Amino acid sequence: MNYISGSWSALSVTLRNFFRPITTQSRLDKPARLPEERAERYRASFALVHDEHGDTACIACKICENICPSSVITVVPGPKAESPNTGKKRAWLEDFTLDLQGCIYCELCVQVCPADAIVMRRVQEIPGYQREDLVLTMDRLYANETAKPHTWANASKLKEMQDPTRGLAPAAEATDASAAAPAAPAAPPAGAP
Amino acid sequence: MNLRQRDRINPHLDLDTVDAAADLMALNMGPQHPSTHGVLRIKLFLDGEVIIKAVPYPGYLHRGVEKLCERLTCVQLTPIFDKHDYVAPMTNEQALNIALERMLGVEVPRRARYMRTILAELQRLASHLLWLGTFTLDIGGTIGGGASLMMYTFREREPILDVFEMLTGARFHYNTHQVGGNRHDIPDGWAAAVKTCMDQLAARMPEYEEQCVTNSVFLMRTKGIGVIETPLALELGLTGPNLRASGVDLDLRRDAPFHAYDEIKVNVAVSNGCDTHARFEVRIAEMYESIRIVRELIDNVPEGPICSLKPVRTVNQIKLPEGKQMYTAIETPRGELGTWLIGGGAEKGACPYRLKIRPPSLHAMAALPYALVGHTVSDVVAVLGSLDPIMGEVDR
Ligand code: SF4
Ligand code: SF4
Repeated sequence: MNYISGSWSALSVTLRNFFRPITTQSRLDKPARLPEERAERYRASFALVHDEHGDTACIACKICENICPSSVITVVPGPKAESPNTGKKRAWLEDFTLDLQGCIYCELCVQVCPADAIVMRRVQEIPGYQREDLVLTMDRLYANETAKPHTWANASKLKEMQDPTRGLAPAAEATDASAAAPAAPAAPPAGAP
Repeated sequence: MNLRQRDRINPHLDLDTVDAAADLMALNMGPQHPSTHGVLRIKLFLDGEVIIKAVPYPGYLHRGVEKLCERLTCVQLTPIFDKHDYVAPMTNEQALNIALERMLGVEVPRRARYMRTILAELQRLASHLLWLGTFTLDIGGTIGGGASLMMYTFREREPILDVFEMLTGARFHYNTHQVGGNRHDIPDGWAAAVKTCMDQLAARMPEYEEQCVTNSVFLMRTKGIGVIETPLALELGLTGPNLRASGVDLDLRRDAPFHAYDEIKVNVAVSNGCDTHARFEVRIAEMYESIRIVRELIDNVPEGPICSLKPVRTVNQIKLPEGKQMYTAIETPRGELGTWLIGGGAEKGACPYRLKIRPPSLHAMAALPYALVGHTVSDVVAVLGSLDPIMGEVDR
């Protein structure tokens, strides 16, 4: 008897749902979310960028290679040479590979780059047929620079956001310390046993 | 048989002493069973359909994370910790970073502590929503209102992952904490998004609860099933909702506050039922409580920096003092997640010498041999679902 009433109450939920407004969305009504509609910080793939003078920004310092928890970055530094744009002597990148098969999208490589050279994109790489298709070579990374959109983050922006003195003007500090505790908690939620 | 008064079950029961004519059958449940929340094998010895003895065999998801932690520096560990409990990565990161911060004696800015509290509660909601969906699916399928409930809870979980994406850029493996604070500050419009999401959830939660508790099939399948008495729960080291459902009022959020929990009041849900239904009740009450905490805090996040140390620049930036040991525990959606840390490892102290994780799910696993005996095979999924173990965390 219990089973019948239980089944009935479960089925009545289903029945009620027939007369409710539709809450789920059909894939046909709305196309898949475009990369531009993703959150500004959404991180998917990678790109290497040029600096404001038009040189490749990476100075082959290998910090990203060292910090990568899954060791998927390989940096080959090239010889030092003068920049055709600024005339300054600096280090250049000979080769750079990033193996997406092992990447855990932690954003650490982006954060540590001293030259803001590596950024993440909001678009996933297109799945390939071979493992090699998931290895981002230097050419692919530079090609990704123009294939936008990039995420909001690069190293300087992240570091600025995490700056321990940010927003700590002396006056602000005082108000911060004396800020009132949050409002008194409400009554226990209904349904608490 | 009154399950609460019977003798303590012997998990090491010698099957030869059981009636030889009983014609026992050994049945392997898992490792590829959809209800095992990962890959868990439970060996069941059955008399007819009644379980005489149950032996869980974890280990199918072992990834050697604790050993890996000895080779990676403190800076690199956070993204690895995301992968233990893959239903609640946020609280895992927090457990690691709190352990490192306490060992180094680093203060976390107030803004970061508030953010961490909000994130922890949102993660608790996301985790419990996933639990509610899969638990009811396991237990009833379509007839218990299960499959539709799972659709609903996944729909509710989605906006929570969306606000995480807005804040951190990732839907799941966030890497948003670092020693001394957080990595990502609150973006514009985030508080409003969180509030909308909480309003939606608060409006819909009573319906989900009602779907279960008014369903007599659901009640029959949960009440009196999988009883874990209070002394046994304490003995096995159960924590979190599982312990509170066995009548012990212990919640680290209130009893050993971390983050900003010392500045707010946490109402801890406790139930004396000790059974599957009590664990259901406690988790549902916790969800209401989490909604309340998030709503209370979201408007009160203080201004200021989000990190008290310099942002990560190099791999060896943080060095642990040699020989110092410390156990730190926080309350995750599943219970007490402890981190036993010994400083001064490889790379001149930048790696931990040893990092031992105390996963709450592993201890919940230990309750299975006690809780399953005397029930039928179909109750296994109900009990397992109500304990809410995550195998990634059990096996590490
Ligand atoms: S995001 Fe990928 S490539 Fe960059 S440090 Fe993390 S794992 Fe390495
Ligand atoms: S991408 Fe940045 S961190 Fe990596 S080698 Fe180039 S300059 Fe150094």
